[in-house]
Amino acid sequence: MLPADCSRRLVAELQGALDACAQRQLQLEQSLRVCRRLLQAWEPTGTWAWEPPPEPETNEEDPLPACIPSPQDLKELEFLTQALEKAVRVRRRITKAGERNKAPSLKSGSFVTSPGTTASTPPQPPGQAGGHASGTRPTKGLRQTTVPAKGRSERWLPSGQDRTRVGIGARAPRPGAGLRNQHMAPSAAPQAPEAFTLKEKGHLLRLPAAFRKAASQNLRLWVQLSSMQTSDSMDAAAAKTQFLQNMQTASGGSQPRFSAAEVEAEARRLRKACSLLRLRVRKELSAAPVDWMQEYRCLLTLEGLQAMVGQCLQRLQELRAAPRSCRPWRPSSCEWPCWTSRSTWKRCFWKRRWGCNRGLQR
Amino acid sequence: MRRRRVDPAAGARAGTLPEAIAALSRSLPSGPSPEIFRRAKFDRPDATSALWQLLFRVLSPLPAGSALASIALDVQARLVKSALCSQGYPRLALAQLPEDGSQGSRELLLALSWLLARGPVPEQMLARTRVPLGDEMTVCQCEALASLGPPAPHVETEGPVDVRHVQWLMGKLRFRWRQLVSSQQEQCALLSKIHLYTHGCHSDQSLGHLSVTEAEMLRDPEGGQQVSGAGAAQNLDLAYPKGLHFCTPGMGPRTFWNDLWLVCEQPGLLPGDWAAPLDPGGASACSLLFPLRVLLRTLEQENRRLEAVLAWRRTELVFWRWMDTVLGTCAPEAPAAASQPTFLPWVPECGDGELELVVRELQTLEEELREAAERRRVAWEAKARGCGRGPEWSATRRASRETVEKELGALQRCWEQDSGPAQAHGPHRLVRREDGAAGDRDLRAAELIRTLRSQEACLEAMLRQLQGQCRQELARLAGAVPGLIWIPPPGR
Repeated sequence: MLPADCSRRLVAELQGALDACAQRQLQLEQSLRVCRRLLQAWEPTGTWAWEPPPEPETNEEDPLPACIPSPQDLKELEFLTQALEKAVRVRRRITKAGERNKAPSLKSGSFVTSPGTTASTPPQPPGQAGGHASGTRPTKGLRQTTVPAKGRSERWLPSGQDRTRVGIGARAPRPGAGLRNQHMAPSAAPQAPEAFTLKEKGHLLRLPAAFRKAASQNLRLWVQLSSMQTSDSMDAAAAKTQFLQNMQTASGGSQPRFSAAEVEAEARRLRKACSLLRLRVRKELSAAPVDWMQEYRCLLTLEGLQAMVGQCLQRLQELRAAPRSCRPWRPSSCEWPCWTSRSTWKRCFWKRRWGCNRGLQR
Repeated sequence: MRRRRVDPAAGARAGTLPEAIAALSRSLPSGPSPEIFRRAKFDRPDATSALWQLLFRVLSPLPAGSALASIALDVQARLVKSALCSQGYPRLALAQLPEDGSQGSRELLLALSWLLARGPVPEQMLARTRVPLGDEMTVCQCEALASLGPPAPHVETEGPVDVRHVQWLMGKLRFRWRQLVSSQQEQCALLSKIHLYTHGCHSDQSLGHLSVTEAEMLRDPEGGQQVSGAGAAQNLDLAYPKGLHFCTPGMGPRTFWNDLWLVCEQPGLLPGDWAAPLDPGGASACSLLFPLRVLLRTLEQENRRLEAVLAWRRTELVFWRWMDTVLGTCAPEAPAAASQPTFLPWVPECGDGELELVVRELQTLEEELREAAERRRVAWEAKARGCGRGPEWSATRRASRETVEKELGALQRCWEQDSGPAQAHGPHRLVRREDGAAGDRDLRAAELIRTLRSQEACLEAMLRQLQGQCRQELARLAGAVPGLIWIPPPGR
């Protein structure tokens, strides 16, 4: 059986490490889920109704005022989409067998998924996109259609088409938004290739323009701030030190007290010193000098170590004698954790909450 | 913004006072209006509560959230007092203020200025609430240490503990470490793929590829899909993306780390200014991802705050001159003398225990050393008398002395400079790029891994040394008891 005090510390430390591991594992798993989902085929999100989506969703994205498409347009689109769907269905029946044999790794950068390996199937119309899920995804009514012979998904290309707003590279723009955007006239049918995978089309993604603008401005401002700091005006710095000194003298002129952070840092250094010294002392004491020179050196080392230990003890005594109110403390009457120094606030707080004594010697 | 009568002399300098104060209040989160500052100079009571709350926001290391807002004013006041005290705030008048917010606004204004003079407070607060756009990783260990969450309430073992229990816990810990390692390896592999596939599409040339946050935003701009199905889209916790950054350098396929750079995200903050915010388990709590509009809104807010901080830095000189006058209107305080503020409810226990331990150890060491050194000195003097004297004798002695001094000096440096070369603090963004344009604060992942590995080797050597010493000690103790057979456990 281990003695009570050090065993409590051991158990508390081990338990703390176990909890930290568990927490980190949770976080890792969460981010793993996100990453895995990113690498799979991207699902269409949200509702894809034909009616224009509610205003707030696309306000920032669409600079053009919302204009509700006329029923006429809607009907025409409906017809067109139905025709396209039929075409797709026909084609899919033809190419279903070939699709399955197709090698999963498609040439990135090419929309045209040419099944080089399957000679039996007729040449695919360009834009029979994303072979991965084509055989398996049912077309959901009006909403999704595979790209017909167009072969281009305008939303991905940062082309001259001025669709930067809606070109967010995600699933095809909502048909409503597409309708709104007058540039879409030439290709009226909504483009919605079946499965978008990062692997094939990842490098064609484009961040939305508003985001790009905000992010670049953000970076520029941070850089400006940094350059301003490094070439900081001497006046401001001098004014600040002057002010601090005035504060000091106005409050009685006592010498500046140590902050808890400094005390903590010094204590940490001294702890490290203690362990290093102890190691060295053991080494020296267990060494067996062979000749007089080694003996002499050993003696000198021991005396030197003795002096160093004395110095450390002296500094420690100074720390302990530091004014009480500048040391880490624990509020006794309120429930909130104190934060005076990073490592000690946790002990205070959790002792309060859980009544256990993590790592403290009693 | 209120325009006061501007003193022409003051206007000739950089900016005017109202501008400076307005910039300051814009740069602080939920900063009080400039009017509050003016009222505080005249010690008006109606400015007090706003200043208490601001100080609380500044001093509390916890991320801003609804939890903070629900704390009562007097509790906030008490915590502010204690925090200031522990930072070494010189003025005693603050500690004597009533906590109900009825008076003392001038003191609070002085306290705020004291904090502003000591460090880049607006920048630090901005850094705390930053939205990380990239795949983040922290280089230093501070945040890892600080992120230890609450221990589960377990039965406190009062009595002595069986060593087998400890061994069992140790085994459990090793198993969890292995699990973590394999998860991190998978994470590295996935990240590597994502970076590779999205190469070439980022608008920012120096970055070159998308991060997980950006890709996720593109995939799901509405943010409607959730990771673990946890409720409605109400509380978008800004702390969530921090959970996306879980890599440990060195884990995972080597190819992952080869071309990887760690880009310093906030060149505005010097390493010393960084105060890693405490985040007790916050990152794992919320599982929602960012809809595009929220991200945009947050970015724009941050841009506004950054502009305000820049304006503040340009005009702060006027503010400090003004604060000197404010200080002048206060009566000078009597020196503190031996009286410590007794009304603060402090209990000096934290940290004391550890210091005591160290003191005791050092004292034992000192005793031991004193004994051994004396003994050896006597023996050596006796031996030395027997040998002859000569010039080479004293030369060798001097040489030995110098060697010993050098060794001991190196030993002392080991703990004097505690963190070696200035290790960058704060989160860095993982960017894959070939050798090329790199900012001066950017780090190469490969070099970082090398440094960490050498640190690891040092620590391991120390561990082995300690284990060896323990074994020797045990053997000695066991040998002292006749008839006892000591079978040491197989070395690992």
